[in-house]
Amino acid sequence: MFMAIANSNTLNLERVLTTLKSPAGITISASIIAAVLGAIDNGFYVIVNAIVTGGMWALVAMGLALVFGVMNVVSFVHGEFFMIGGLTAYFTFTPFSDYLMGNPNPLFEAVLPILAMVASVAAGVVVGILCELIVFRPLRNRTREQWVMNSFVITLGLSTFIVNSSQFILGTDFRGIVSYWNYPTLSFFDVYVSFDRFFVFILAMLILSAFWLFMRSSKFGRAIRAVSQDETGARMVGININGIQTLTLALSSALAALAGACLLFMYPAYPTVGLGPLYNSWFIVILAGMGNVAGAAVGAFIVALLQVLTTVYFGEGWEYTVPAACIILVLIIRPSGIFGSEVRGILNQ
Amino acid sequence: MENQLLLQVENLDSGYGFLQVLWNVSLSVAKGEYVCLVGPNGAGKSTFLKSVAGLVSPMAGRIDFSGNSISRLPGDKICRMGISYISEELNLFAGMTVQENLAMGAFTINDKRKIVENQDFVFELFPALKERRRQLAGTMSGGERKMLAIGRGLMSTPSLLLVDEPSLGLAPQTTAAVFRALDTLKQKEVTILLVEQNVTKTLQVTERGYVLEKGKIVLAGASTDLIQNEHVRKAYLGI
Repeated sequence: MFMAIANSNTLNLERVLTTLKSPAGITISASIIAAVLGAIDNGFYVIVNAIVTGGMWALVAMGLALVFGVMNVVSFVHGEFFMIGGLTAYFTFTPFSDYLMGNPNPLFEAVLPILAMVASVAAGVVVGILCELIVFRPLRNRTREQWVMNSFVITLGLSTFIVNSSQFILGTDFRGIVSYWNYPTLSFFDVYVSFDRFFVFILAMLILSAFWLFMRSSKFGRAIRAVSQDETGARMVGININGIQTLTLALSSALAALAGACLLFMYPAYPTVGLGPLYNSWFIVILAGMGNVAGAAVGAFIVALLQVLTTVYFGEGWEYTVPAACIILVLIIRPSGIFGSEVRGILNQ
Repeated sequence: MENQLLLQVENLDSGYGFLQVLWNVSLSVAKGEYVCLVGPNGAGKSTFLKSVAGLVSPMAGRIDFSGNSISRLPGDKICRMGISYISEELNLFAGMTVQENLAMGAFTINDKRKIVENQDFVFELFPALKERRRQLAGTMSGGERKMLAIGRGLMSTPSLLLVDEPSLGLAPQTTAAVFRALDTLKQKEVTILLVEQNVTKTLQVTERGYVLEKGKIVLAGASTDLIQNEHVRKAYLGI
């Protein structure tokens, strides 16, 4: 849709109007208007907050959309990947951070948080591959009947297993950090943003673009899209379905783990920390349209804005209630989500 | 003769779960041949092609391709060995453009020059695809989608092409275009196994044929003989 506008050299007014009148156009324009009004009323920080958190939710939600689109798995274990990412970052970061207290080293201080994030991405990849090899592949080889329901229940079980293992091994302590970098706060348009948040936002944007490029133009990104559009067709052109499923789960859990690491200063890691991100990403995926990865990236910013505005006008306790109410509305008016579902057939099961 | 055989199927039983569709089917295709498998709806023609292409696992029997047994291989490995299957449902990637679909067809090829060469060949075969290279596959007409499916199947430089019902649901003109394309491929020495319901047309263009009824091969022979056969004339040609 946006491509259509970008491609035409002469901006066709009629085309712009139809775009604006589509559900996606209406939602996006309404969000922009809401953001502007909120910013006028409360200050620019509304927009800055929505964009910064939206970037991170986009990473989590895209992974969820991908897993649904490619593997047809309604995943409820996605939040646990977030938790594992947070824990890995914590255990990589804090020991060295304590060491740095006694032996200051500016270069190492600057690099250490990035190392922690890389470690959590690696942990995400490993956990994703393990889940595929130990849980999903045996089930897939056994039977594809009732796959959506079976795999959904299995993700619930996996989630319970990981949460309780974490509680059993590490206890229920909150493991968080105050900040990754002790750099001075930055200010944009009179809004103060900590360096951590700024960095996390830039990183999210970089990963989003890299991911988009990967899915558009790389051989394996295309193969992932091919499997989500027609699995039999993908097999017919020589794509190894099992390999693509593994790649997909590894990618999506790595994205969630990275988000968990990046947001460690906002969401300290504890066994059930994944619940919030899980709900959030489900809000986003349902709002955008099941399995629609690009839609999930845009939807993340809309849901983040919704939450920021809710917190401002209704109070912190309503953070999940208002988006959930909006999701119910969306499902009543447009069951396939505002950007439409890219998954065919699976909903007919 | 023996080592010229490209595809050799012996005593194949196949089907879905508890439902057996094919019974003791034997069929062979030699290199460069244009062979057809005809029969009524529900005879198991598509199941046969799917079993060869590795999308349905056979219950019993042998499937050999270039002397290697492929009956236990998954579909993607079989594609890599040089068999291209063009299904009745086409299985195109609806959300991708014509060009992207063709690129996916060449997934198993790493040589970029070879991919360009194959794509040029497909565009030469179906000029309509070249005009619509940026169009999404899901928005094209039935005939164009069929051409795209055949084109995608050709992108992997297959040595054997399995084509399922190319004339199904097409206007006569488009059907003729598809058959012309298959003829061109035949002249380029691509081996083709064609499955069709359009018996008259198929027996006119192919060299050899098999007739499948209720999951069993009931007749086999040169197409020119089959077209004269009493049973074929009665059951399929309405004479």
